[in-house]
Formats: sequence, structure tokens, C-alpha cells
Amino acid sequence: MSEPDEELELQALQRQLDDAFETTRPRAGFEDELWLRVQSSRPAPSRLRDAFSAFFQGIRAVPAVPAAAVATLLVVVIGVGIVAMSGLGRGGGAGSSATNRNLSAPAAGQLYAGNFGLVPTPVFNNGAKSSTSTQPTLPLGAADYPGSVQLTWAGKFDLTISTAPVFRYREPSTNDADQFATGLGAVLRERPSGFLGSYQASDYTLKVRGTVQSPPSSPAYFIFSSLSMPPVEAAGASPQDLADIFLAQHSLQPQWGYTVVIDSSSDPLKVRYQRQFQAPGYGAAYLVDGNGNRYGLEVDFSDNRPVLASGLLPVSFEQADYRIVSSDQAIHAALAFSGPAPAAPASPLPSVQLNQAELVYVLVPAGNHSFYEPAFLFSGKVQVNGQAYTKHILVPAVDPSQRTP
Amino acid sequence: MALDRPPFEDLYRDYLGRIYAYVRAQVGGSADAEDITAQVFMNAYQAYARFEARNTTPAAWLFRIARNATLDHFRAQGRRDRLRRTIERQPVSEEDPAHQAEERIQYRALLAHVAQLPERQRDAISLRHSGLTFDEVGKMLSCSEDAAKMLYHRALKALREVAQKEGA
Repeated sequence: MSEPDEELELQALQRQLDDAFETTRPRAGFEDELWLRVQSSRPAPSRLRDAFSAFFQGIRAVPAVPAAAVATLLVVVIGVGIVAMSGLGRGGGAGSSATNRNLSAPAAGQLYAGNFGLVPTPVFNNGAKSSTSTQPTLPLGAADYPGSVQLTWAGKFDLTISTAPVFRYREPSTNDADQFATGLGAVLRERPSGFLGSYQASDYTLKVRGTVQSPPSSPAYFIFSSLSMPPVEAAGASPQDLADIFLAQHSLQPQWGYTVVIDSSSDPLKVRYQRQFQAPGYGAAYLVDGNGNRYGLEVDFSDNRPVLASGLLPVSFEQADYRIVSSDQAIHAALAFSGPAPAAPASPLPSVQLNQAELVYVLVPAGNHSFYEPAFLFSGKVQVNGQAYTKHILVPAVDPSQRTP
Repeated sequence: MALDRPPFEDLYRDYLGRIYAYVRAQVGGSADAEDITAQVFMNAYQAYARFEARNTTPAAWLFRIARNATLDHFRAQGRRDRLRRTIERQPVSEEDPAHQAEERIQYRALLAHVAQLPERQRDAISLRHSGLTFDEVGKMLSCSEDAAKMLYHRALKALREVAQKEGA
């Protein structure tokens, strides 16, 4: 072969190689499956850093969208330390006998397992650290936002209840996961790291995960559709109708209270069922994650075809009422998260007027038995460099005398 | 400084496909490629706090992790046995007929030929066609940019021979 011919042949081979490397990709679903595994294995500080990073990048990416301009900037409270520093909860009769006296009786028909003893204190994402300029480990908090804010309360928060239920569940086992999968008609394939099991059904892969200790994540299932998953056919159906039909077809309808939110801003379209817990005397309280985001169950559709469904793994609850702090105490604890005085007097801290508060529930992992405990979610708006944010603060609701320090 | 780092998820979404293709070209089969790719990103995540963008590009950093993970894989399993197994078996991910068809048109045979090359030649081709510069390839393989170019060119010729032999 002549040299020019050989050169041409090698060039053709290079083009083939370019195409081969450009088009060789993992199977559909692998990307999301692996991302879930990475998420499950993530150390909390890095996860938080990424969350903040993605959050601020999102703000930068959509400056022209007014609705998106109001993004969420989060400060989460570790309650014990602050409550202790602020003096809240002291003199409250800490001790088991006092605790028992203050527990209210369960409502008729409730699955009441008695006092759980001192319940673990929620450990949120600790956004409080991000709000201080002394935490270099949270880079984007420092880069895109000074962090520290001055908090004031300008709302109305009259809490009429003094107790709220705490829910406890046993950590689901591989048997529980297998039973759940069997109920759906899926067959065990393997037990990958970070999951109780991976199962195969005719048109999807099911993965079941137990409680993640850090960052706290509820037991959950994930359904990854294969290419053979058919679209949901229902003429004139709304996105929620489609999701309801899909869930009914797979016996996955939520067995708990919820509200539905549709996110059609991108493909896939997302139908979110936000879980609620009932707090007697208060009403429905949303389940939120450490960032204050509501969650429960989500079905994603692309052209009416379900591509991913993820939801809370069903677990059995025990329930017991616990004394909670008053609204004044909760407000006091939230305001205690004002940032320290700035090093440079010429740059005053942004002011945030908290003006909304609601009772919510948060997951508190605790080994073999984990809890959903009440908390207070405060929010208010802040303008920083012309950019509008919403600031959230989470405060544990269970009285400090009834929580482990 | 940490501020130079993009969110890890961005890195993951941007590079997952390329890393997978690189690994696939090393090991030949998609099942092993998935396992190793998963290990790469698990390792990368754990090490991301120490990644410094001023010292290296995210691509070079990730491919170094991928290369190490692939070498570990070969060390642990034995390259000869691995190759035989990957050639003999149907990979787990190829259950879907549509996916099988996709695989065929995605130059599976060519990557399988790459996987048969000696280690350094395999690396030179895989890294180069994964988008790394010759300078980056050279650094990865502990040689100069010019040496990387020569290695790549030799690898290309070797690949052509393997392809011709297999096609005959």
C-alpha cells in the first residue's frame, strides 16, 4: 500500500474511532441509577456544597425568568445548640417523669405505641453554617452570597397546639423490599451497594433503598422505565390524571394525605405528590427535606410515557404525642440564627424579614428505628444585589426536654 | 480553591458518557464498563473536595481516575480471563433488542478491537478519542507530548492490523 493510501486509511479509521467514542454510551437508565448510588454514598458536607452550588448556578442561569428569580436560599437550624444558647427549653422539667406527664393521650383509633422516650434531635443540613462568613467549606455560600443575614420576625404565628405526634418506623429489611417488589410483580435481580434490592419487571427496573442516615433520606423506591414501557393512553387527561392512572396500574397510589404539584417547565414533566402528616388541632403538615423542600412521590413523564417514578417506601408507623415548643420559643430560636457582625463595618448584613411559619415534618434517622418529627419552617424574602431570594429556617418543634441533646 | 469547582453533578452529567466509552474501549464489555464507570464516579465524588481546577482540567482528572480504576480492575481479575469472558458472554445490559441494535451501530466491534491492543496503545487511542489533548495524554502516560503523538500513531496502525485480521 502506498503511503498516501495508508494515510487515507488511517484517517478513515480515526473518523470511525471518533464516531465510536462519541456514540458509545451506557444503556438508558444507567445514568440515573448511578447518580442515585452516588447520592447515597455522598458525604453530607459535599452534598450540601453541591446543592448550594447547583442552586446558585440555577439562579444565574435563568435571570430572565421572573418566577425563577425568587430562588430559595436556605438556612437550617440545629435546634439544640441554639435553643440551649438562647435559654429556650430550660426549666422545662427535663427528665422522663416530666416528659411522661406532658405527653397527651392519643386520639381514638390511632396506632399508639406509648412514649418513645427521648427522641433524637433533627440534624438538618446545617445551613446555619452557610450563613456565616466563617465557613469556607461552603464555597458558593461565600462566593455568590455573603452568607450572614440579619433576621427579624414580622409575621403572625399563633400556635394553638402544645403537642404534636411523632412517628416512628422500623428500618425496612431486604425482606420488606422483596415483598414490596413482589407485590408489584418484579423479580429480584441483585442487591447493589446502597440499595436493599434491584428488581426487574417486564417494562421497568425497580430499586428499593432503606433510610439514608446522612443526609437524611427516607426509605424509597425508584422505578426506571425501560424502552418497552408504554405511554399512558388517556385522551384529554391532565398530567395528574396520567400519574394517577400509572400509579393505579402499579398499585402505587399514595396511602397518605397529599397535595399535587405539576412541574411542566422542562422535559420530563414532573407530577409531585407532596406528603402530609396530620397533626391534631393543627391540620396537615408537609413532609420536608433538610432544605425545606416538600416531598413524597414523583412521577416523571416524557410524551405521556412514564420514565421515572420515585416515592416513599411504605412503612408501618407507631405514633406518640410529644410536647412542642411555643410559637414564641420557635420564633426566638429561628431569630437566633442571625449572622455574626460583619468584619467590615461598611458592608452591613442583608436583612431578612421572616413573615411566614408553618408546622412541617422532617425525617430523623436513628438506626434500626427512625422518626418523622415535627419542626417549624420559617421563611422570608431577601434582596441581595438586586436578586430576590427566599430564606428558610428550620427549627425543631419537639420540646428540648424531650429530645436527646 | 473550592470556588473553581463546578458542581459535581455537572461534571457527572457532562462526562459520564465519555468516561463510559473510554472504559468500554479498555475492557470490551458493557457489563464491566458499567461497573468500572460506577466505581470511577464513586471515587471521583469522594475525592472531589481535593480536586483543584488550577492544576488540571476536570477531564484529565476524571480520566486519570478512570484509568486507575481500569488498571485496578485488570489487576484484580486478570486481563486474559477478563477478555475471554467479555468476548464469550452477552453483557447484562444488552437484554433489550433495541439496545442490541444500537450497540451494533455504535461501533462495538471497533471498540472491542481497541480493547485487544497493548495497554499503552489502548490508552493512547482511548484517551485521545475521548477528547484529551496529546499534552494531556502524555501527562497521563508519563511521556512527552511528542512521544504521545508517536505512541498514538503506532497504536492506530496496530488497530488497523487487528481490525484487518479480525475481518479476514
